[in-house]
Amino acid sequence: MDDAVTLLGFGPEGWGLALLRGGLMTLAISACAFACGLVLGTLSAWAKIAGPPALRRAADTYGVVMRGIPDLLVIYLFYFGGRQLVSAVAQMFGHVGPVEVSGFATGCLAIGLLSGATQAEVLRGAYHAIPEGTLEAARVAGMRHWTMFRRIIAPQALRTALPGLGNQWQSVIKESALVSVTGLVETLRAVTIAANSTELPFLFFLAGGAIYLAITTISGLFFRLAEWRAMRGQPAAKVGG
Amino acid sequence: MTPTTVRLSNIHKSFGGQEVLRGIDMEARDGDVISIIGASGSGKSTLLRCIPFLEIPDQGEVTVGDTHLRLSGAGHRFSRAEREKVRRLRGQLGFVFQSFNLWPHMTALQNVMEIPLHVQNRPRAECRDEAEAMLAKVGLAEKRDAWPAHLSGGQQQRVAIARALASRPRALLFDEPTSALDPELVGEVLRVIRALAEEGRTMLIVTHEMAFAREVSSHAIYLHEGRIEEKGPPEQVFLDPVSERCRRFVGARPDARGGA
Amino acid sequence: MDIAFIVAVFPKLLAGLPLTLLLAVLALAGGGAIALALSGLRASSWVGARIADFYVYVFRGTPLLIQIFLIYYGLAQFPAVRHSVLWPLLREPYVCAVLALMLNDAAYTSEILRGGLRAVSTGAIEAAKVAGMTRLTMLRRIVLPLAFRQALPAYGAEITSMVKATSLASVVTLMEVTGIARAEVSQSYRAIEVFLCAAMIYLVLVTVIARAIQLLEARLSPYRRPALARSPA
Repeated sequence: MDDAVTLLGFGPEGWGLALLRGGLMTLAISACAFACGLVLGTLSAWAKIAGPPALRRAADTYGVVMRGIPDLLVIYLFYFGGRQLVSAVAQMFGHVGPVEVSGFATGCLAIGLLSGATQAEVLRGAYHAIPEGTLEAARVAGMRHWTMFRRIIAPQALRTALPGLGNQWQSVIKESALVSVTGLVETLRAVTIAANSTELPFLFFLAGGAIYLAITTISGLFFRLAEWRAMRGQPAAKVGG
Repeated sequence: MTPTTVRLSNIHKSFGGQEVLRGIDMEARDGDVISIIGASGSGKSTLLRCIPFLEIPDQGEVTVGDTHLRLSGAGHRFSRAEREKVRRLRGQLGFVFQSFNLWPHMTALQNVMEIPLHVQNRPRAECRDEAEAMLAKVGLAEKRDAWPAHLSGGQQQRVAIARALASRPRALLFDEPTSALDPELVGEVLRVIRALAEEGRTMLIVTHEMAFAREVSSHAIYLHEGRIEEKGPPEQVFLDPVSERCRRFVGARPDARGGA
Repeated sequence: MDIAFIVAVFPKLLAGLPLTLLLAVLALAGGGAIALALSGLRASSWVGARIADFYVYVFRGTPLLIQIFLIYYGLAQFPAVRHSVLWPLLREPYVCAVLALMLNDAAYTSEILRGGLRAVSTGAIEAAKVAGMTRLTMLRRIVLPLAFRQALPAYGAEITSMVKATSLASVVTLMEVTGIARAEVSQSYRAIEVFLCAAMIYLVLVTVIARAIQLLEARLSPYRRPALARSPA
């Protein structure tokens, strides 16, 4: 037991620092991926709601495809496929040998793309939950599209979307573990290295699990706080209209 | 002496700190049609629901046919034998809810067949025949394969009545059977209930439909704040009650003729 | 994009499909059974409910991959496990992957069950009670059928989720579709073509399953469709 405490600690024998760095990397890549997903999700939702038919179909296809392919495969595709692509392009310019591609960047893009598809659905549902009356009032007041979006649509939609987005954030955190296959040293990679080095896989994978649990739990609390603050004085949203 | 089908003795029931039934004694003999009336909150629905133990009285005795149960006090824990008694007691009753409560995943016919088939374990052919007969009786033979969600409120309630009938109960209990219906659908349900009363069935009906209750009952009970304020034949309770409160209650109803 | 290559690699990838399906089916079957047990546990006592809550919390709050690693690499660390009668099973990546998938699925499925059960209307239950149904009959004829119909959409999503999750088994050397794809890429270096093919296979699989669920939903709940002709009251 003392062993465990030492090994997980921050002393010279301890892996605590490495695990901490891994955890921070997890947060970093998750944040970037989630942000990507938010942008893609917003665009996709807009396309489905108010876009021309071609864009709407494109957004639908995006959603169907991203929800039909395993996350791991997308990461493999972006990382190894990206490497293949970049190497091919570099070769055209006379570069010799393979080109390294950032696990962080490809992981971010891959997870962002995956998350965006689900976030699009969350945002779309949140938009449809906005009472039509509030939009009519804005239109009849002569509000311009962009102003209406900024002042009426987005604030209401975000309130309804918070629970769904919170779930997505937790999903992204868990998906970030898959980026370890690219060699990026986030939490899972860090505990794997420690496990291999100390030959104590159970201890370190358990620690890894605890780190993820801590991150998802604390995130969950933040989101619930945000939901509570956002819903102050609001009637309960009727989602699924 | 006609046998007693349903008897309640000294029924007490509280919700939270509020006492809703304060010592009710009531009896329904074979063939009686008893209307239970009263203002909202008077405890009439609770009283009816106590009979099949949908609400568990804190105190008192419930007798249905030859099954008898006594409650010792609030928080009474039912022994296995007592739970079996409750089931046997329920098996002798047919209950019709205010909100119909048909099982949504079964057709009308399946709803009506369910109790004979899966509770009483009667042979399938017999259950089907009985169910079709009951649906015909309530005027819905052609709706046997319809889903409850596709039926109007009045139709759903009639199916619910057919379902209660199919179990061949000793007594039928109606908990505000028309209160949840649009006005134009009330008549079709009342017609069915009247027909059943004319057949001589034992029935207890909690209702707001004063004129109907007056026509159809053999006895009526007026409940006020958990106690029986007035009890007697319909001419008395609806037209010339002893209790002043009851007089005001039935007089206040626009469709009750006569009264105060 | 080498078409000949793609045509050649497709059947190689498809060879992994049976294993993908087997993993998914076992995970769902086992996970479903454990979920039912969790539901029973939750209903049994306050302590039981807290244990069930904790189980769901842990398995939904941590990545599936770490759950797989914990079982496959982690358990092997203990001499007690290595010398136990279960070792021939627990050393197999196949068994470990299935176990992890089952335990993970159980957490999500039990929550879906919970939602389904909550959605059964009290009215339907009261009608069953007053009819004199025993608790078992009520469960069998009324509660579970209604809960199942309510939970079907969410469970359909869980099924497709599980099918996709089987790809993680490739990380512990299993040769299902993703595993074969990885092997192919390390040989041919044609990552884009191979992974796109694999992606296509999963896409078709998921679409077929989603459609099947839709058909099942329509068959089980025809009362959700609007009435074709409304008769006058």
